[in-house]
Amino acid sequence: MIGDDPDGELVRRVGEGDPHAVETLVARKLQRMTALAQRLLGDRTEAEDVVQELFLRVWKSAASWRPGAAKFDTWMHRVAYNLCTDRLRKRREVALPETWDAPDPQPLADAGITAEQQSDAVGRALASLAPRQREAIVLTYYQELPNREAAALMGIGVDALESLLARGRRALRARLEEGDE
Amino acid sequence: MSDEMDPQRFEALIAAYGATPARWPEEERAAAEAFARRDPRAASLLADADTIDALLFAHRVAEPSRTLRAMVIESAPRRRTIGRRLRLWWSSILFALVAGAGALAGSAATAALAPAALNVQLYSHDEVLNYDDAPEEVAK
Repeated sequence: MIGDDPDGELVRRVGEGDPHAVETLVARKLQRMTALAQRLLGDRTEAEDVVQELFLRVWKSAASWRPGAAKFDTWMHRVAYNLCTDRLRKRREVALPETWDAPDPQPLADAGITAEQQSDAVGRALASLAPRQREAIVLTYYQELPNREAAALMGIGVDALESLLARGRRALRARLEEGDE
Repeated sequence: MSDEMDPQRFEALIAAYGATPARWPEEERAAAEAFARRDPRAASLLADADTIDALLFAHRVAEPSRTLRAMVIESAPRRRTIGRRLRLWWSSILFALVAGAGALAGSAATAALAPAALNVQLYSHDEVLNYDDAPEEVAK
């Protein structure tokens, strides 16, 4: 029922070509989807490419969107997630140059670092995690998806999701708190 | 569902979801909160998880640029406005009337409608463009 989906009525109006509904949907979703893509991909430019492709699919689907079991936000997450994982898969298929080095997260031992530096350090640490750990953390912590929804997106059970979360969180802290050796 | 949560489950829950109850699975939240209140081991587990939560919280993603926002909005299909619909409708009506008049009246109507008969002067394209210009400007 449209009433169970907070975006249902808005998507219906988008499907009818209502320009105000288009702007409202963009205001509601653009930041959220950009954040998802950037954290999964670790690259702003690629994230913006994904978001543009995502919304093209939104416009295409809005006219035929029918309220059902899945919420529109869940559908957007599924499309965005698949677009991102496709790009990540293609990255792994391309041979990395010999001079390429994995992002080196700097430790947060220095209490004097700025908020921006801290954000950058955490971003690098996230990017250095095993992909599935990063996906689990991004979907549950940052996107705040319920655990069943996040697990379903990743094609795993809740137990496996929790294992990825626990390992990912520990790995993140280890990368950030270890000093130079 | 039992309100009792065992220590192993609480530890696993915190390790996965962190220290904030709002982030715990809804169906286990009450039991986890009860455990946290009564069990002395909970405090250290929560403090440990909170340090990781703080690290995650520190990561910020910049707001989308105006350019990106504009491009996304621009990519949306637009429905025809009422004004545009009326113009299209009126244009199609006129076209049908003219076509119909020509078919019914035949060549006589066509001759009667000739510019000379209507005392209408037809201007060339260049003449129309220079209509408002002074003669000396047109001559340049």
